[in-house]
Amino acid sequence: MSDLYLSRIRSWFLSSPPAEWALQRLRSALIGALSQGPIPRHVAFEMDGNRRYARSHKIETIEGHSLGFEALARVLEVCYRCGVKVVTVYAFSLENFHRPKYEVDGLMQLAKVKLEQLIQHGELLDRYGASVRVLGRLDLIPPDVLEVVERAVATTQDNTECVLNICFPYTSREEMTTAIRTTVEVYSTTPRPHSTPFSQNRITQKILSKQGGSSNPLESISESPSPSPSSSPSLLHSDDQDDAVSTATTLHSDSTAVKNGGDQEETVAIYPNVETITSDTIEKHLYTAGCPPLDIFVRTSGVERLSDFMLWQCHQDTHIFFLKCFWPEFDLWNFLPVLVEWQWRQKQKARDETPRKRVKQA
Amino acid sequence: MPSRASALNTYRQDERLGYKLLTPEERIRLLKPYLPPPPSRSRSKSRTELSRAREEKKAKLGVRRFLRRQYHVLVFAVIHIFFSVYIRLRQAYNAVVNRIYSIYYHHHRTPELIRRDVKGLRRLPKHLSVILTLEDQRHSGAGLERLINEVTDVAAWCASAGIPQLSIYEKTGILKGYIKDTHEAISQKLHFYFGPNCPSMSLGAPHIPALESSVSSDGTDMINGSSSDEDEGEPRQHISIMLISAEDGRDSMVDLTKTLAEMSQRKKLNSADITTELVDAELTESVMSEPDLLILFGPHVELAGYPPWQIRLTEIFHVRDNQGVGYQVFYRGLRKFAQAQMRKGR
Repeated sequence: MSDLYLSRIRSWFLSSPPAEWALQRLRSALIGALSQGPIPRHVAFEMDGNRRYARSHKIETIEGHSLGFEALARVLEVCYRCGVKVVTVYAFSLENFHRPKYEVDGLMQLAKVKLEQLIQHGELLDRYGASVRVLGRLDLIPPDVLEVVERAVATTQDNTECVLNICFPYTSREEMTTAIRTTVEVYSTTPRPHSTPFSQNRITQKILSKQGGSSNPLESISESPSPSPSSSPSLLHSDDQDDAVSTATTLHSDSTAVKNGGDQEETVAIYPNVETITSDTIEKHLYTAGCPPLDIFVRTSGVERLSDFMLWQCHQDTHIFFLKCFWPEFDLWNFLPVLVEWQWRQKQKARDETPRKRVKQA
Repeated sequence: MPSRASALNTYRQDERLGYKLLTPEERIRLLKPYLPPPPSRSRSKSRTELSRAREEKKAKLGVRRFLRRQYHVLVFAVIHIFFSVYIRLRQAYNAVVNRIYSIYYHHHRTPELIRRDVKGLRRLPKHLSVILTLEDQRHSGAGLERLINEVTDVAAWCASAGIPQLSIYEKTGILKGYIKDTHEAISQKLHFYFGPNCPSMSLGAPHIPALESSVSSDGTDMINGSSSDEDEGEPRQHISIMLISAEDGRDSMVDLTKTLAEMSQRKKLNSADITTELVDAELTESVMSEPDLLILFGPHVELAGYPPWQIRLTEIFHVRDNQGVGYQVFYRGLRKFAQAQMRKGR
């Protein structure tokens, strides 16, 4: 009983104008102070604990999600005012489609309404210079929500100061698979043969005629088929030999040997070398392509798992923080220790590295 | 200007009523006081008449900005002074706690004690993974020896606890070059722990065939007679140990992509056939399966290049500010794992 009174008195005090003013001052002082140190460029949040928060506070699940959205707005404000460039949040997992239908629908509606409001006051994101991107399987979003998503992305795409990545129906494994698939597709499509004013046919003929090989009977054959670069690749594809690359190379060597395959030489399917694929190639095809490396990964609600979020991005030197609080409670006061500890570790790291350098120089 | 609390109240009421209470304009008005000043970009675009007046203002603002900056630097310094005091205290406190834990939970190199510790746990991970670090790379001899020693310790604890699969991640992969020595060291340690009825063990690495150990199988044990309740005629334990390194992470995925791209170039594969299941099956086959629990012995969570595909749902355990490989960390990890699973089931 006394707990209830205490919390009421506390909330009354905190909502009184002087206390509120002081808190606002304190907030902006802290944020301003934090931005004096090193600032992470990319932060990811796994917004976990909305449902558990709702259950423990005896409110509807959807209301928990709404409070979670408020927490997100607070955190985004903190991040952008500090100078974080990219914030990535895990809004909806592919696994979440297995949740009860009313909850999925509720979440979709929430996303729709919030994005709609975002579009209505476009100034809001302009003030921060933030652009919204939605990462994930967009084809699984219901069409009415997708339309709003696309509109939100389109209206904010000119803002370059900072980025908000919303992982909508997302899992990291799906992202990595997509990246692999796209890479494979890129590497197995032939680059369009660039057209030059010089015909390889003519050159071979010139060479042949110079060599005095005008008596070569093959020359007349080589002239007859008209070179058609656009149709030949399809010919090659329809070739029932399953080894396209080796066919290409044998054709190539044949043509140079017999010196009559000039027409085919132009259209040989030359694929990019697969040995040039590196982890950067895959990274370029991830949803987060172009984002700076992930510096901080935060997961709330005390669960110490990554749960299929940002696996590729965070497995190297990202600092991962697992926090006890539920996401709707998350605020500057929870984020501050994380940021300060990160800054402290950066300082430690720099200090550890300088003596080593000195040793190397000596 | 309404206070923040009342603004928040209005906002929530609007939300509850299905966004019918406020018009978009009213909502914008509600938000306005909390927005930062418009960015400088739009300011530069402004008309020229205002620019002079603004310049005069700017001079004043410059002083103010300078003062504000000094104030922020001061606050920053204060925060960091307090934080470094706090973190020293925290490290000291955690060091003491860890010391106490390590005295309280000590294995005394007897599998029975470890088994007794583990007995109360509701469930054990089937596949445990640990991250070890090779320290002191300049004198690699001492560092390597220490690393192998840590590997043997962890392997012995796992064997005692009855965890059938262990994978050991070490970033540089130096151990893969000393697989025979490591194998020997582990079997020695197991002998030391278990005596005659030593569990069998296999040590391998991705793309390297596993080394099997075949310790004298007919170790009809006297220990079994004295403590029959612990291992009642169960078949001899087996533990398989896997050594992995940074190259089994991204690089193995790159290799897989290369193979797939080559197959696709030769028209042996349609790119639409590349699914999560296919990639998962391939990576599980050639590297390892998903571990249930990952124990870090470092002071904070940093994965240092651990295979990204495999840590999807792995429970990650670390002890804050811990330094070094210790049995208490291992045991607390197992205990946490058991508890976490319980909560998930509820």
